[in-house]
Amino acid sequence: MLNNISLGRYYPAHSFLHETDPRVKTILYFIYLVAIFMVKEPVTIGVLTGVIILQLALGKITPGILWKTIKPIIPLALFIFIINILTIKDGDVLFSWKFITLTGYGVERASIMAVRLILLIISTSILLTLTTTPLKMSDALEGIFKPLTVIKIPVHEMAMMMSIALRFIPTLASETDKIMKAQQSRGADYDTGSFINRVKGYITVLIPLFVSSFRRADELAVAMDARCYHGGKGRTKLNPLKLTLRDVLAGIMFTLLAVLVVVIDLSLR
Amino acid sequence: MPDDPKRIVVKDVSFSYDVTDENDSLASRLALDGINVSIAKGSYTAILGSNGSGKSTLAKIIDILEVPDSGKVVVFGKDAGDDDLFWDIRSHCCVVFQNPDNQIVGTMIEEDVAFGPENLGVPNPELRERVDQALKDVGLYELRNRETTALSGGQKQKLAIAGALAMKPDILILDEATAMLDPSSRDDFLELVEKMRTEKGLTLITITHDMTEALRCDKIIVIDKGKAVLEGAPEEIFMLDNLWDYGLKRPVKFNFAFEIAKLTGSELTKEDLLSDETLLDALEKMLSKPGLKAPETADEDNGGDSEKEIIMSVKDLSYTYDGSDVKAIDNISLDIRKGEVLGLVGESGCGKTTLISHMNAIFRPKEGDVIIHAKDGDLSCSNKKDTMKIRQNVGLVFQYPEYQLFEETVFKDIGYGLKKMKVSKEEADVRVKEAAYLVGLTDKELGSSPFELSGGQKRRVAMAGVLVMKPGILVLDEPASGLDPKGRQEMFKIIRNLRNNGTTVVLVSHNMDEAAKNCDRICVIDAGKIKAVGTPEELFENNRAEELGIQIPRITRFSGLLRARLAKTHPGIVFDGVNFDPEKEAGAIVRAVCKMGGADAK
Repeated sequence: MLNNISLGRYYPAHSFLHETDPRVKTILYFIYLVAIFMVKEPVTIGVLTGVIILQLALGKITPGILWKTIKPIIPLALFIFIINILTIKDGDVLFSWKFITLTGYGVERASIMAVRLILLIISTSILLTLTTTPLKMSDALEGIFKPLTVIKIPVHEMAMMMSIALRFIPTLASETDKIMKAQQSRGADYDTGSFINRVKGYITVLIPLFVSSFRRADELAVAMDARCYHGGKGRTKLNPLKLTLRDVLAGIMFTLLAVLVVVIDLSLR
Repeated sequence: MPDDPKRIVVKDVSFSYDVTDENDSLASRLALDGINVSIAKGSYTAILGSNGSGKSTLAKIIDILEVPDSGKVVVFGKDAGDDDLFWDIRSHCCVVFQNPDNQIVGTMIEEDVAFGPENLGVPNPELRERVDQALKDVGLYELRNRETTALSGGQKQKLAIAGALAMKPDILILDEATAMLDPSSRDDFLELVEKMRTEKGLTLITITHDMTEALRCDKIIVIDKGKAVLEGAPEEIFMLDNLWDYGLKRPVKFNFAFEIAKLTGSELTKEDLLSDETLLDALEKMLSKPGLKAPETADEDNGGDSEKEIIMSVKDLSYTYDGSDVKAIDNISLDIRKGEVLGLVGESGCGKTTLISHMNAIFRPKEGDVIIHAKDGDLSCSNKKDTMKIRQNVGLVFQYPEYQLFEETVFKDIGYGLKKMKVSKEEADVRVKEAAYLVGLTDKELGSSPFELSGGQKRRVAMAGVLVMKPGILVLDEPASGLDPKGRQEMFKIIRNLRNNGTTVVLVSHNMDEAAKNCDRICVIDAGKIKAVGTPEELFENNRAEELGIQIPRITRFSGLLRARLAKTHPGIVFDGVNFDPEKEAGAIVRAVCKMGGADAK
């Protein structure tokens, strides 16, 4: 079951967004992050959703993949929705029973909150994880933050660490699964008992997982050493990032769309 | 001639690792102790030795991944101690390690291949050409844009080779690179590497526990306790009688040949070992000597044909993983008899692990069922209430169980299951000790931390942790993988002991030699379905193995050649059955020839 984690996983395909320069995508991602948090009106949220649907199409993301990506956060979105609906007491009362009061305004705000969270996840996935391989993403971060090397921030090393961490997520997930199965066959039980007992049960999983992660890290370090890795200095790239006119235009277009949405939103208030 | 430009010379090299001892103070463990090795350019060398003998350290020294404490390493005339030559040497030497997962850096296949040359600063378009060529060489070009995690173990090791080739190395070192592969991907892999060696003129060094693999090389170096103790051509090394002292043994066919030589009172020469043909000629000559004495029949310790009572039935079991369209196992029905050793064989990914995961309800049956006929009634794996009882009755030891230890002491780790079962402390103490002795652990180890033990000992601890539950059925997934020949032999001794004590054993194995020798029955699984079930004798008679798509045990293959020759020279010869133990098979052959009256009958 742990092998099915799709959050943070690359979806191989050939699409407009897959081929867009990852630096452009990363910058766009930050712009959309801000836009999603600034927008408050239902109309503009709708427009923003439209823009994101356009991006989904450009990234050739199938509904199945999309569903897998947002499924894990639906409980959280629901939780936020319910909390908001119960705590916002302004506006016309729609329904009231004992201490529960639902207001029109509350429902509206709660829906916007929940929708925003889902948009945030979708936006992260389509602009970054689903359409960009971890190595490209770390290349992009390295490219964007390169100026920081002047003030002695090890940008290349940090980017490399990030891409290795992402590369090992599936490996460690299957390792966790193996350890749990082995312990279950020795009588461990993770699903029953008190909360404390369950947490304790997971500790027995974490110890071997840590030990094996250290072992893997050790072996990987030796393997990287053997392949002559010595930091970012003098390294070449198989697929160097190339900013084309198309990338620039795509960047400008989507930035303008985001700005437009925010401007409309502000003017509506 | 330390500066010979055509040799890799390791001279008087010592190296020790820093380890923390019991008192938490830093101590050092000597891995190489003044070792001297010289390897010719373009040669194919095997480095053999028991676990912990220093083989891998030697490989690291040659690639300057470790710097010797003392001594000198000169690679093709370049001194490894010279800082200016450091990158030059390392960039022309590549290592493929044992665990495929722990050497892949890239998420995408071509990205990973490019990692090495990128580090060397190879500019594009040459970089692109190198990557494409390397991928074509290993046959992964079509998959270049796929994720590395989607590859099988064998493909991952080929990817590692591609990553090495893209660096245009002179030396390629395989550090137990085939240890985690199944036999067919192993042969595939070795053929690829050997092809690359001839095409690109590589110096190939392979570190291995597989003696038959070592036979493919031009030269063998045996390492023991950090020293090179033996060196020579394979036929010279395998003539020696003291290999066992170094945790090694002869390849199966040589074992067999030497036993025949012993029984017929003859001697083998190293020329006899050069090829199958020369060896068969020599054996035939020995067997045609006049006045052969028939050896006595060895005692059969079959423990009286296992009782026919059925202890576990797998019924119409099918399973599909989430998000997959293919059935991992498809309508499997299998009865396991009390007291037998049942082997499960098949290629990686054929569904063996999925099947055994159902046997103690780690996977709950979706279709079909597994019934355990326990002492106190039948237990069904699809019944959630029976789960705990099933896990006490069926012990399951996964592959590489040593990676799953977690307690502070070996004693506590073994006793973990008992604590979960709420067994009283006094009884637990007794049972932990019993289980520990059963796998050959002593009181000294019981008190230490499991993380301080050697790999082989850790595996025993993990096994004891399952045996402590006193399961009537023990399911083992590749219990001997990664162990040296001595360790493997000891592991199978433990398994035979368990069987003799009445435990039913289900054994998953890739190694057909060991499966045939140690199992009462073998079940062949292919693409999730049972292809055949039967005794090893039934499965390996008359080329049936080929039909079933499984490897023939090496002894059966070689002995078959000898039998065919003898059938020509001794028309009407009758052999009493097939044996999968080389020594017993040798006895059977000599007895059959004696019955014919040896050479006198002609």
